[in-house]
Amino acid sequence: MIWTRRLIALLVLAWAASTGLAQVADDAEGKDPDKVSNDDPGRPLQMPPAATEVKEALEDFERFRKRGAWERALKALYTIGDDQSLRFVDGADGFIVPVARKRREVLTALPPEGQSAYRLFYDAEARKLLDQAEGDAERANLERIYSSYFTTTVGAAAADRLGDLDFEQGRFDRAADCWLTILRDRPDSDLSPATIAVKAAVALSRAGRRSEFDQIRAEIEDRYRDEPTTLGGETATAPESLRRLVDAAAPVAPPSDGRGADASIGLAEAVAPDWQFRIADSIEAGMAPVELNQWRSNPLSSARPAAAIDGETLYVNYLGRLMALDLATGRLRWRTESFHNLEQIATQPAAQMLDPSRFALLARGERLWTVTRDLKDQNSMGPFQLECRRAEDGEVVWKMADLPEYAGYEPSGPPILADGVLYVPAKIQQNQPLPEQWVLAMRPEAGRPIWKTQVAVSRQSQQRYYYSGRREQTPQVRLMWNSGALYVDTHVGLLARLDADTGTLDWGYGYETAPLQTERYFYGNMPQDPQPAGEPPRERGDALVFKGAQSSRIYAIDPNRMTVAWRRPFGKAARVVGCDDRSIYLGGEELSALDAKTRTLSWATRLPGGSLEATVLIRPDGIWQATPRGVFELDPADGRVRRIFRGEDLGSEAADLVAAGDRLLTISNRAITAYPARSAPPQEDPPR
Amino acid sequence: MKPPRSPRPWTIAALRLAACLGMAAAVIVAVPPPAAAQVAEPSGVEGLTVQGKGSVSARPSLAEIDLDVSAAAELTGDAIVKFRDAKKRVHDAFAALKLPDVAVEERGLLLDQKGAAFNPYMMDYGVQTKTKSEVQLSRKLVVKASGIQGMDEEAVLQLVGRLLDVAQDAGARVGPPANAAMMAYRYGNMQPTNLVRFVVEDYDKLKEEAYAKAAADARARAERLARLNGVKLGPVLSVREVSSDNATRYYYSGMMLSDAPTQEEDDGARDRLTTPKFQDVPIRVELQVRYAITPAEPKR
Repeated sequence: MIWTRRLIALLVLAWAASTGLAQVADDAEGKDPDKVSNDDPGRPLQMPPAATEVKEALEDFERFRKRGAWERALKALYTIGDDQSLRFVDGADGFIVPVARKRREVLTALPPEGQSAYRLFYDAEARKLLDQAEGDAERANLERIYSSYFTTTVGAAAADRLGDLDFEQGRFDRAADCWLTILRDRPDSDLSPATIAVKAAVALSRAGRRSEFDQIRAEIEDRYRDEPTTLGGETATAPESLRRLVDAAAPVAPPSDGRGADASIGLAEAVAPDWQFRIADSIEAGMAPVELNQWRSNPLSSARPAAAIDGETLYVNYLGRLMALDLATGRLRWRTESFHNLEQIATQPAAQMLDPSRFALLARGERLWTVTRDLKDQNSMGPFQLECRRAEDGEVVWKMADLPEYAGYEPSGPPILADGVLYVPAKIQQNQPLPEQWVLAMRPEAGRPIWKTQVAVSRQSQQRYYYSGRREQTPQVRLMWNSGALYVDTHVGLLARLDADTGTLDWGYGYETAPLQTERYFYGNMPQDPQPAGEPPRERGDALVFKGAQSSRIYAIDPNRMTVAWRRPFGKAARVVGCDDRSIYLGGEELSALDAKTRTLSWATRLPGGSLEATVLIRPDGIWQATPRGVFELDPADGRVRRIFRGEDLGSEAADLVAAGDRLLTISNRAITAYPARSAPPQEDPPR
Repeated sequence: MKPPRSPRPWTIAALRLAACLGMAAAVIVAVPPPAAAQVAEPSGVEGLTVQGKGSVSARPSLAEIDLDVSAAAELTGDAIVKFRDAKKRVHDAFAALKLPDVAVEERGLLLDQKGAAFNPYMMDYGVQTKTKSEVQLSRKLVVKASGIQGMDEEAVLQLVGRLLDVAQDAGARVGPPANAAMMAYRYGNMQPTNLVRFVVEDYDKLKEEAYAKAAADARARAERLARLNGVKLGPVLSVREVSSDNATRYYYSGMMLSDAPTQEEDDGARDRLTTPKFQDVPIRVELQVRYAITPAEPKR
């Protein structure tokens, strides 16, 4: 009898334990995808993490702060060394912030008695730093006070001076942040709040942070209406000063390439192209049916070239074969290599594993910058190369691989050119167990480095492929430059912001993402969802709207206030193709629009071939997409197909659509075709 | 150590005999049974047995195009918006054609999940459970163009081409459902590749005609045989349908698309004749009829 009772008790215990374990496992499985931590080992990328001691120091500070043990709390905080101030810890709402910022946040949140104690301990040190902030040491000392001693008596003054320095150097974003921090966190400072508010407003205006500017201007009109301010040697009331300074720096129109990108588009049903450059016909000429079948079933036959327009020239990067075409006539100006024999290279396994979308091209003035790879290289893990070439003949000026500063780096996405600097996302795995994600800033003409910044370390190895026909599917890193800030979307769960001038990593935002398949054998673990192209973040008002290629959510964050405006589930196979006042446009199996205010799905239109890749032209008067069945024109209000222009490139796969002045170019895997952009009046219903 | 013993001659002979018997049995089993039409009459049955054939042909009067409209999303609300828009665009596109003889019919709504399908490339990799499932709504639409029996081939081609173009431009998927190819591969079936189905609508009436012709043919044959053999034809003792063939039908195996309705279910289980080709479709009926015979009355 007693044994029976023991047995029952054991069984009950075992059941309880197994239920508990299952619950823990369920909790782990069903954890909130929006609670992202930089230290989560399940995340594919990790920003440069702070040492364990830093996290312990922050925990100690919190513990002592709760007890009111200020001396011990502050001592714990100041055990953090300067070398850790630019390492990263978890911030609020999914943001990953530098230790310096975290320290400033916890210090400014101290209650009055904590502030008093803090100033008692650290005022002298801060004053000493401020006194020594002259000459070469000025910026370093001011930054140190701003990050470590902001809540001391001299912290606000140091932040004000740092703001002035940044403003003078054109770093309006950073200047605005300094002054806004004073306004928000140091209302007790001796500085004139009206003057600081005007300075902040001017910096916000220059940085293009519209809603913040409107907010602070309203505050100036309301609170500091009669307060005198002296700025630029002139004394006036705060609102007058603001008007004078903002009007003096009227917003400068963004540089135009002179191509008249806003020319209206209206393609008549039977308009003949101005010219057509045939790619597929050249490769397929003379092929026997068996060869043709082999070529067309090869992934490389679906590759559409990367293209860029500069002046009157169209530059094309077709699988590493570079060409320059006259935009007016389509005449070939030069090419680096013929492509009629591509079908032979395409049969090799290494070529079949290539992701053709990694070939990229930038053109500006007398130079081209290309991302290419030798198709003949039979190393399936062979690196892509960044090269600078002369626009007039395609001759190589410099190669990243030849410059010792970039030894081991490989471009991991298309480069961008902004403010006279070439920014390149790159990865490196030299002497490292796992690849690292970097951003390189270089002089475009000579390739000399301006700065190099490590954004994150991968927790997964590089993709490895075994056996034939497995195309690389690592999402490409996309960059976006905006008002002196560089945004990096890794497309594997991390968006980061860097200071474009210095390369300083400001913050990261971790978002939900699916794990990356890094090893594949035979046909196992085939992706089942179609994968959309990775897009750069899109600017919409003060927010950045983005969606990772592997994420099932769309995010809108305010990068300046570091807040999440909204996040919304949508499904993995989608990308953000554009935004306007009314809608956020998404490409995927359908082209669809989210209402920008309510975030409800307004409409979805399925177009032939879907909208997973290739450029979509979005304008207030219409949306255009090139499909295998012609160019479709949609009404942005309801997604109705207004017109279908069949054109001369039917049967091609997804094509990029490029508006170039009075021409509309379709760039597909089969041909580049230029049509007159305006050849038909607006039309209500599509012709059938 | 003893050398291996060689088999005795009688053992070999017995084995050979067994092999021969086995092969004979296999051949007997493998040979198909004779078709119903060829079954020999059991001996001792009296009467006269003939086979009558009747055939009529008809032109399809209806062209049908199957469209698949589907939408998937993580939020069911999004899937509904996508699905509603997709369906509306197809309906609007066909309505804009303003063709009185073209109609779009809807079949049943299917709700399932996307992203949990079998891996089509490897036999037993099974469902990828890590893939997040999305709600998927799908519905088959059937575009019907009637009155084509009086049209010439060129006109039918123009009409069908227009319908196919409109359907594809409206974003509908033309042909069998998206997973049909995968399932066909999985179960070793042939996937139909035709895009248009031609239907002979008045099939019952035509079949009636063919049966009448077959019966008349049987009667004529029997009368001739009776006359030639000097007997008198009596009443019909039995009738057996030997064959009633028609043009190719589509069959969707229940195993192949267990969750999808079969074509017959979709079409309301109507008995109708479908063909992938636009041509005159023959409807053949073959009947085996046995008549009683009596000796002919002697001539006076």
